[in-house]
Amino acid sequence: MRFVLLLMLVLSSVYAISYKELAQKSDDATAGFEDAQSRMSMTLINASGQKRERLMAMKVLEGKTGDKSLMEFLSPADVKGTKFLNYEHVNKDDDQWLYLPALKRVKRIASKNKSGAFMGSEFSYEDLSAFNVDKYRYPEGEVKKGTLDGKEVYLGESIPVSKYSGYTKLRTWIDPETFLILKIAYYDRKKELLKTARFEDYKQIKGIWRMGKITMSNVQNDKKTILIWNDERIKTGLSNKDFQKRVLKR
Amino acid sequence: MKYVITSVLLLVNVFADIEITGHVGLQGERYLQLPHAKHQSNMTAFESLELFYEDDAWQFKTAWYAQQDYDDFSNKRDNDRTFVRLEELYASYERGDSMLFVGRNIRFWGALEVRNIVDVFNPVDLRSDIFDTDKMGAWNVAYTYYSDNSEWSVMVKLYEENHQVAAYPYAYYLFPPFVAYDDVLQSERSRYRPSIYVSYVTSFDWEYPLDSAVIFENGYDSQRYFLPNSALEGSRTVLQEHAYLVNKVMSYNTMVVDATLLKLELLYSNVIEDKHISDYYHIGAGLEYTLTFDEISGDVGLIGEYYRYGTFDNDKFSDLDLYETFQNDLFLGVRYTFNDVDDSSLIGGVIRDLAYNEKVYYVEYESRFGDAVRLNLDYRYIDPSSRYQTAYALLGTHERLGLKLSYYF
Repeated sequence: MRFVLLLMLVLSSVYAISYKELAQKSDDATAGFEDAQSRMSMTLINASGQKRERLMAMKVLEGKTGDKSLMEFLSPADVKGTKFLNYEHVNKDDDQWLYLPALKRVKRIASKNKSGAFMGSEFSYEDLSAFNVDKYRYPEGEVKKGTLDGKEVYLGESIPVSKYSGYTKLRTWIDPETFLILKIAYYDRKKELLKTARFEDYKQIKGIWRMGKITMSNVQNDKKTILIWNDERIKTGLSNKDFQKRVLKR
Repeated sequence: MKYVITSVLLLVNVFADIEITGHVGLQGERYLQLPHAKHQSNMTAFESLELFYEDDAWQFKTAWYAQQDYDDFSNKRDNDRTFVRLEELYASYERGDSMLFVGRNIRFWGALEVRNIVDVFNPVDLRSDIFDTDKMGAWNVAYTYYSDNSEWSVMVKLYEENHQVAAYPYAYYLFPPFVAYDDVLQSERSRYRPSIYVSYVTSFDWEYPLDSAVIFENGYDSQRYFLPNSALEGSRTVLQEHAYLVNKVMSYNTMVVDATLLKLELLYSNVIEDKHISDYYHIGAGLEYTLTFDEISGDVGLIGEYYRYGTFDNDKFSDLDLYETFQNDLFLGVRYTFNDVDDSSLIGGVIRDLAYNEKVYYVEYESRFGDAVRLNLDYRYIDPSSRYQTAYALLGTHERLGLKLSYYF
């Protein structure tokens, strides 16, 4: 009997996982892509179901202290050629620049306010920045399990560290086998549910899990935005040089 | 035959890769207060076309702009605002950390929102709406060296362009009706005398990040002055534009302090040879603070800017002689960005001249119809000086409504 109890204790400690460990494993599950290039389509759907589509070209360079990304807008035509360069940092605000082709102007942006909508979508700039474990605080104790679409999942939870975040809490549904995020619920500054994001169409490229689609639904205004990655390539040999400010004007 | 087929295939391939963009549109203004002898409204059709081709390290681009003023084909009193203009025509080659450029292009230097006092590389077309900064291309060759977070450039501008202006009935004809303008630029040295610019642009990764640029110029100043030409005088005074040489140091900077952008543009101009123009300085300082709200999706930007211009020799032309409008001016403005699917924004502000007690009020709204049509609406009111002969005093009390529709392809 004592042996059985000891075995149960050991097994539970092996399978028990803290919220921070879960977040780290989830982060690790999609790490190691080095760099990525893709085309993104963003479909904005209003409360009456009307759709508008935006196209972007995206480049990302994975970094130990934060990713660098370059996004170029391909449509609508009046903003074609507009570029957004972001240097992500964990312990300070991101460095951001916007290139406006009509004026030939590179404009510095203050990234402190993270909650602003991105291109009129239901995504905020905060949602689109890369996940980093150190940007959040986590509850004490072990992660609970629940179900999503009839499947068993881990139920994670995290609280943004930045006081400029638009959220007070994020609840996550994570696949227990792959540690891939399946769903996130975002709670606003009034601690009410604001949005949910469903993560789908994961595929492995060169052995690394990459996300194919996010559907962001705003439960407060009934708007929805669907973001789809097309033709994604990773480990293409991009370097810091491809993310210098010079690329904004090219 | 093989050669012809290969050439045709090559050309077809090249043309297939050429990126064509542009827009066509209509712009109209109704002047609610304006001297009666001038046209009380204005309509302009415009078209912009860009062709771009990229092949590995090479880039080729050409851009054209054309406009047709309604009064130029329907009225006996032409505005002289109908033209076709080559904006850009260039080739650039990039290898490693270096880039070579040859051709005609438009560059931007500056950090502020209302007036970029260091944005001096390209001349501004005086036939356009004075509230648009309508820059003309400039012929130049340039070499740029890039490092991780900085760049060195040497640019040589090859030629100084004539400045054409609209004719008198147009609302923004610059001079009184009895003054004519001869558009041949006057200069003591050849207009082909090159202007040399050396620039250094960098970013400092400090606690408060700073983007900074310093530019040195030896060549023709962007500031110009007008003198009557007695040889051309008949019953009307004929003015000519004069250019002169300077050594000029300029800088523009943006610092990020939390949610605030602090901006500074400054220049000092040492005049090499001209009996009318004194050495001068021009400074512009500003801040932009962005507020976000939980209840609404839009952002509010609060903008404040101050400009100061001064000359060092009282015996030479002053800011009034040079029609400098930003010599001691304060701008306060608010921008509301809707963060909607149509990228709508509303900006309003007032520019107050603290020396001559002039005020300029304006409101602009911008949005999109569908995915291709851009809409701009604006209202402006100018309350000019009653005591001093400023540029706005020449214009008179001015009030207008403007509408611009552009279809992008």
